[in-house]
Amino acid sequence: MQKIPLMHATSGMVLARDVFRNDSSVGMPVCGKKTVLTDALIARLDHLDVKAIYVEGHPGEVEGETVESMLCDLDLRFEKVRTDPLTSKLYNIYVKYLENSMGDSSGRQTE
Amino acid sequence: MDDKRSELKKIIMDIRTLPTLPGVINKLNVISENAKASVQEMARIVSSDQVLSARILRLANSPSYGFYRVSTISNAMILLGVNVVKSLAISSSIFEIMEKNSIGLWEHSLGAGVAANLIARKLALPECEEIATAALLHDIGKVIISLKCSEAEEQIRCLIDEKQLYMWEAEREILDIDHAEVGGWLSKSWFLPEKLSEPIAFHHDVQRSQNHRIKTAVVHLADVLIKASGFGDSGDRHVPQIQQVAWDVLKMNEQILAELVEELEDKLVEVRNFSLEMQA
Repeated sequence: MQKIPLMHATSGMVLARDVFRNDSSVGMPVCGKKTVLTDALIARLDHLDVKAIYVEGHPGEVEGETVESMLCDLDLRFEKVRTDPLTSKLYNIYVKYLENSMGDSSGRQTE
Repeated sequence: MDDKRSELKKIIMDIRTLPTLPGVINKLNVISENAKASVQEMARIVSSDQVLSARILRLANSPSYGFYRVSTISNAMILLGVNVVKSLAISSSIFEIMEKNSIGLWEHSLGAGVAANLIARKLALPECEEIATAALLHDIGKVIISLKCSEAEEQIRCLIDEKQLYMWEAEREILDIDHAEVGGWLSKSWFLPEKLSEPIAFHHDVQRSQNHRIKTAVVHLADVLIKASGFGDSGDRHVPQIQQVAWDVLKMNEQILAELVEELEDKLVEVRNFSLEMQA
């Protein structure tokens, strides 16, 4: 599952979560999960001012962007502060976050 | 050295070549000093400049504040406060330059605004909107340096690559000042309140912040978080160190930090969206 801006949605994608207006999960969903998106539906969601949606899989990934490559970028960014006691905590949190959000389980079981 | 600094200060702060301040700002400054002035009165002054109003509303509806439905200036003044609207009006010309010249820095600033807002809300700090504004503005010094010292900017970039320095280190080596200090000068010369100018001036050195250390610490941490996420392009390739004094003053812990990362990553999708809409 991945959260993507509505602008990046294309027909054929499958909703992984119910869509609500105003990004709040109170009230009636305007579109149910498992719905296959069409151009008309995307236009309608846009009219309802929906900004982002959750879809199945990881369509937003740039080609070749794997967990490994993202972790590699992360290592480069943290190169100078890996031994710093506080900043290394943030590094570990990010490693865990990337592995959880990009891994195969990808939180799908929680939905 | 001091001569060089004051010389630079003169060049950088030369108002004839600084982005112009909207004329309504003077009127707004005068009227906001008057304790009896009403929000409606101030909103009417700002609204008289339509281009400026549009720019303010666009920023007020940015994910940094998370309201999205701010449709009038008086609405913005009530929701965000007079200080914030005034700061957005003053800095709108800088943001315009950022959008044109460096989308990466614009995205970094927006992202920092979002991160600061999340941190402030999570820690239940007062004046969240002001903190988000300080974070949104924290790198204005970079815009001014690239505007006024374009040759030096080139040298700074080379030095960053060559010696693997942080941007502020390279700036100090070449100009003897850094973007945070320039941002501080600029915000003082614009008469921004100290609670905004101090976090801008000391976001790389929280220790030096005397009166608004908590706000400065939030902006510092927001800057680190957004650099860690790799969102936008601040000009720095490396994540800076989280300063102990900031960690202590915010009573930060690993659990809160992990929650903040989750929330920030989720929010950044919206920031990307907002930035795409602006470029469209």
